[in-house]
Amino acid sequence: MPLRRLFAASSVLFLLVLAISPAKNALRSYRSLQRQYRKLGSSRAHSLKAAQSYQARPVAIRQIWLRDFDNRVDRCETCHLGVADPLMAGAPGPFALHPGTPHTPEAFDRFGCTSCHGGQGLATTQADAHGTAADAGPPMTPPAFIEAGCGRCHLAENVTGAAVLSRGRALIARAGCYACHAVRGQDTFRSEAPPLATLPLKTGGEWLKRWLKDPKSIDPNATMPNFHLTDQAIDELSHFLFAAQVPKELAGLIEAAAAEPPGSSANGKKLVSESRCITCHTVEGKGNGSAPELSKIASTSSRGWLLAFLREPQAFNPRTPMPRYHFSETESRDVVAYLEDEFRDFDAPKGILEPLRVNQSLAENGRKLFRLYGCFSCHDPAGSASEKFGPELDGIGDKRAQSLDFGRRTDLVRTLPAWLAAKLESPRSFADGLKMPSYGFSADDSRAVVTALLALGAQSVPERYRYAPPQKPALLPGGPVGSLIQSYRCLSCHQIGDRGTDVSTAPLTYEGSKVKRDWLVDYLMLSYTLRPILEERMPVLKMPREDATQLADALQNFYVDPAIPADPFAGHPASDADPVEGQRLYVGLGCRGCHILGSSGGYYGPPLTEAGKRLKPGWTYAWLKGPQRWRADVRCPDYGLSDTDALRLTAYLETLQAAAPAAKAASVARGAK
Amino acid sequence: MSATRVSLTDWLRGSAVYRSIVRHGTADTNRNRSLVIFENLFLHVHPVKVREKTLRFSHTYWLGGVTLVSSLVLIATGILLMFYYHPSVPQAYRDMKELNYVVDNGLFLRNLHRWAAHLMVFAAFLHMLRVFYHRAYRPPRQFNWVIGVVLLIVTLFLSYTGYLLPWDQLAFWGVSVGTNMAKEAPLVGEKIRFLLLGGNVVSENALLRFYVLHCVVLPVAFLLFLSVHIWRVRKDGGVQGPPSDTNDPRGEEAP
Repeated sequence: MPLRRLFAASSVLFLLVLAISPAKNALRSYRSLQRQYRKLGSSRAHSLKAAQSYQARPVAIRQIWLRDFDNRVDRCETCHLGVADPLMAGAPGPFALHPGTPHTPEAFDRFGCTSCHGGQGLATTQADAHGTAADAGPPMTPPAFIEAGCGRCHLAENVTGAAVLSRGRALIARAGCYACHAVRGQDTFRSEAPPLATLPLKTGGEWLKRWLKDPKSIDPNATMPNFHLTDQAIDELSHFLFAAQVPKELAGLIEAAAAEPPGSSANGKKLVSESRCITCHTVEGKGNGSAPELSKIASTSSRGWLLAFLREPQAFNPRTPMPRYHFSETESRDVVAYLEDEFRDFDAPKGILEPLRVNQSLAENGRKLFRLYGCFSCHDPAGSASEKFGPELDGIGDKRAQSLDFGRRTDLVRTLPAWLAAKLESPRSFADGLKMPSYGFSADDSRAVVTALLALGAQSVPERYRYAPPQKPALLPGGPVGSLIQSYRCLSCHQIGDRGTDVSTAPLTYEGSKVKRDWLVDYLMLSYTLRPILEERMPVLKMPREDATQLADALQNFYVDPAIPADPFAGHPASDADPVEGQRLYVGLGCRGCHILGSSGGYYGPPLTEAGKRLKPGWTYAWLKGPQRWRADVRCPDYGLSDTDALRLTAYLETLQAAAPAAKAASVARGAK
Repeated sequence: MSATRVSLTDWLRGSAVYRSIVRHGTADTNRNRSLVIFENLFLHVHPVKVREKTLRFSHTYWLGGVTLVSSLVLIATGILLMFYYHPSVPQAYRDMKELNYVVDNGLFLRNLHRWAAHLMVFAAFLHMLRVFYHRAYRPPRQFNWVIGVVLLIVTLFLSYTGYLLPWDQLAFWGVSVGTNMAKEAPLVGEKIRFLLLGGNVVSENALLRFYVLHCVVLPVAFLLFLSVHIWRVRKDGGVQGPPSDTNDPRGEEAP
């Protein structure tokens, strides 16, 4: 009967089909890999016993289960069998030992694999685990961006050992991305971009149009991005900006300054070099670059504005990092006269600073453009505090490539890093009507920024995995002292606790325990070079004596490390304070290799010629006992001195009181160059 | 030897325990054979005698049988799947991955469940068409037709509730769209949607409700109606094949 035969045949066929699944199960690729690993292990093992233990390893799925880390299960070790096995250094294929990082090899069980590398930890096949299969889980982070993994837990801007991530975060902050894009923990971010109220009295229509066309072509340090505006849009925006009402008070200052008689350019030259403007500004590209380029400043800003700004920078822009210099009326005139003479664009057309005659209807269109492009996010941050102009960036690092809009960019690889890099490089290329400007990041900068963006996960990691460096106290007093610190912008260069910037190598957190008051008063009034090797130098702020005294007293009282003894010699026999023995130590330890003393010595460390006048003995003693106590990157070696030796050396340094006048003059002259 | 074995069987069949289970003893007469069937809960839904003709493929195309067998496969694989599945938001999708990557033959199990479900819906439709074209919905089978329609609806609901359980994008949007369609029903639409989802959006409540419906409420309802359906086939005169086979509207089956 044919039907029965058909039934029999189909039954056999069905049985065969049923066998497919168990067969596939038995032939999974990790099984053969584990067998290979057995062979590799026993061939590399140093003893018979070790070889046998490799042979005895069961073929099984291996996993790291982190219950308290999002219930993470990472089965990567099923194939990557040698990650924690020192015998597997340089082993082929998936078996190699994991390179050393701050967390490996000892902390695999705490962090797993996918927390740093991404990918799909649950999977037991390569394509699925690495996220290369179509419709697989999250893809692995490419090696170029691997530090993004660090940033998931390490939330501070600066992450030790993750240079790319740290740079990316710094670039994001400097570029002002947070002004338009909301990111967790950056709610208080405010752009340093200047308010535009005094613009009509500062510059001319021609200059403004050039600036709007491409800010970086005028000032390579410019933080303002290129908005790729059409000539018409530039025209309309210029009319809008020139239609602004200049606040009466500032307008008065500028107009009065413009009417003042010209100063002496020669004296101005001296003042500019003394004040060390290039500690922050650049001149023809030379300098620190954290402030605008000065070489064409006189073709950028009118004389009246420059003068008024130099006298009261913080009245023009409350968030400017520029300190207030105490030039006299004549001195500031001299400085501006020098700038007017030397720092101008000699190729610029004559009328570059001619104010624009405002056309109201163009200005009205310009107002709309100002809103349309989100200019207010940086230039009028008060108006944008409630609502961010751009889309929020939290979770961008976990976006799947399938959910990204690649628009016209069919040329791109369909991955998140490629999309982000293209967004940074040419944000408008994806579709019409996009508004994001371009920042002109170099390839390296772009990689750093993408790394920092990939670190922005959809969910924050559990509390016990989050790491923020311990908070240092940041005591910022109010009242007159507070406003002095504000007005001299100490925090533009120095750190106090966790606040401030890392331009200066001398944090002020414990300054009161470090330097003597009288020296400090003198130094604040006329600062000089402490460390000749550094490019950045303390500007001469021309601080009046009462300000200097008040600041010095405040530093002496507030910024004290209680662990530093006031008198290190107390309780020790008098022989410990023997400066002669100390001098012998000074020579013996080779201190002069780095420190200038008198007329000789290396110039890496600060000169010690007047160490006794400058440093408190308690500080010197504590420093000698462990120079890396305050900053890990201090190069001064820790000699492991005994108490007695440290005290003797301290006593010797205490005797170095008199500054050789010649040395001091020389250092002032060097600074003036 | 064989004599003792026979007497052992006789002794077993004569024992009080056996008699308490099967009252009529050995099925030695036609009456007793029938009684064994009648008195057994599981067997009584099935006719005592079946004509060979009705077993022919062309008679019913075995469509009811295919539906029944696939439902049995579904119950068997479904129970196994329940061992690996947690109806909770953090776990549900992950359990799909576990079935895929770690559970032995897990993917096969899932796929078997899925394809059997498709087959069951498909076969149930064809079964219904077959019954319709064979005019088997006519009296006295009109009640069983109604039961069949109820079974079809339960089947479709089973299929739909199972759709959400993997908790992936497809499931989420499928159920979002489906329940929004339910919302468009006049008067009660909103209420039905709220009742189904346990809220106004597809959330963990919806997942739990769909799970309970899929694994408890609907299967129980299905088994209940299924037993009535099969029992009624027998009570209504057995399987009716193509009407041209006979002029007897009661079919050719004697109970």
